[in-house]
Amino acid sequence: MTGNLLARLGESFLLIAHEVGGVIHLLFKVLVALIPPRFDRDELWRNLYKMGVRSVPIIILTAFFTGGIMVIQSAVFVKKFGATSLVGWGAGYAVFREVGPILLGLMFSGRVGSNNTAELGTMVITEQIDGLRALAIDPVNYLIVPRVLAMIIMLFLLTILGDIVAIAGAALFGSVLADVSFAAFWTSFSQNLHIADLTHGLVKAAVFGFIVSLTSCWFGISVKGGAVGVGRAVNNSVVAAALGIVLSDYIITYTLS
Amino acid sequence: MIHVSNLHLTIGGRPLLQGMDLHVESGSVWGIIGPPGGGKSLFVKTLCGLFRPDRGSIIIDGTEIVGLSEPSMVPVRRKIGMLFQNNALFDFMRVWENVAFPLARLRPELSQDTLRERSLMRLQEVGLLGSEDKWPAELSGGMKKRVGIARATMTDAPLVIYDEPTAGLDPVTTSKIYDLLEKIRQETGATVLAISSDIEGLSTFVKNMMLIHEGRFLFQGPLSELTDCGDPLVHQFIRGLEEGPL
Ligand SMILES: Nc1ncnc2c1ncn2[C@@H]1O[C@H](COP(=O)(O)OP(=O)(O)OP(=O)(O)O)[C@@H](O)[C@H]1O
Ligand SMILES: [Mg+2]
Repeated sequence: MTGNLLARLGESFLLIAHEVGGVIHLLFKVLVALIPPRFDRDELWRNLYKMGVRSVPIIILTAFFTGGIMVIQSAVFVKKFGATSLVGWGAGYAVFREVGPILLGLMFSGRVGSNNTAELGTMVITEQIDGLRALAIDPVNYLIVPRVLAMIIMLFLLTILGDIVAIAGAALFGSVLADVSFAAFWTSFSQNLHIADLTHGLVKAAVFGFIVSLTSCWFGISVKGGAVGVGRAVNNSVVAAALGIVLSDYIITYTLS
Repeated sequence: MIHVSNLHLTIGGRPLLQGMDLHVESGSVWGIIGPPGGGKSLFVKTLCGLFRPDRGSIIIDGTEIVGLSEPSMVPVRRKIGMLFQNNALFDFMRVWENVAFPLARLRPELSQDTLRERSLMRLQEVGLLGSEDKWPAELSGGMKKRVGIARATMTDAPLVIYDEPTAGLDPVTTSKIYDLLEKIRQETGATVLAISSDIEGLSTFVKNMMLIHEGRFLFQGPLSELTDCGDPLVHQFIRGLEEGPL
């Protein structure tokens, strides 16, 4: 019984080690392809558009209501203690440092990362990757590097956009639900927050983009076993990205504070 | 053109190619036949360096490719046009872009207009003019096959490999495809390897045959000698008999 459990533990450990090793190996290949830059610019543009521009509506929607919800949750206490001068600061601090990057990172992983894994995985099982290699095209330069760059750039930009929208949402809900005027919100926001609060979150956004891009590409190109394999890969990729985001969030928060 | 000796390939502990030797003269036309799962596709993919053999040697047009890194494989791969068994069309490109893609890569100086024009010419030859702006997902199986053939022959590569060029096609289209392959071959003088399970159709196109079974050659030589081959398995396979070692 215990032996069985130990064996299973060992097995999972080996499996995880295999995936982590794969991601690191891929990272290495991506870096080699970047210095000097040898990747397909058209592919980069195509991906920037597909992954970034097309994500704007859903990001705006999520961010707006997230900002709002934070104010709704605290409205009762703000009214009870008359702590209106804290709302702007509280909302900004939480959105910039934590809620913005984490929520948008997970959202991005769910929308763009999973799509990316499925796309690359399908290309593997339909021999399109072999087709590229047979045409003397390096799939890392042609497919992976543009996707990694596009995801890092876009999650970074989308986080900036999301931050702004979330703050706007918080201000709006604050004035409606907690009687905090825009002026009071702005004073509290601008006097207590520092640029470091923003950059703290943006560092996270860049790292999360990096994690989502590498894991989603790795699980995509390492697909084995038909459509079932693609499904499993998408699943694993989203789980791995979420774990990576939470773990790195912890590490970044710890080291930057 | 191709010289293979003592080629061995193992994947996941399974020996899939087990000691293959082959010599193919420049400009010759070979058919590859054999029971399903025998290693035909694997063999031709290994020829373009898509799998790494455990040992043995593959010389393509004077270059040893076993042990070459991916970047150093580039010049060799540019000499090969390949139709994959399930076509491997790029589903993020339109039909004409798929066909033009190998040429665009080989000769980056060509303009989009020239590429499109050349692509349309090839599409006309395979009878697909009018489908150039479709996506691969919008095509039938036979149409995809023909797009694959157009793409494989786009650069007039000196070595062309067709993996099942006529699978799933009706007899009329099949003979049209073989006529087309023959026409392209005459224009370019390319060396050709063609895998097919339709021995009869294939025989109208190729001059030589090889039969692969369980990762080994059971026969290699001129088409005329295939029927005289003494191997009982070959005997059974080419006659389609139910009784025998298979
Ligand atoms: N990528 C791969 N990984 C592991 N095993 C493989 C791979 N590709 C093929 N095989 C195995 O190699 C053997 C030969 O496969 P191959 O595709 O070469 O057969 P084939 O002769 O082309 O058959 P068919 O006529 O059905 O196309 C099969 O047993 C198959 O399971
Ligand atoms: Mg095959």
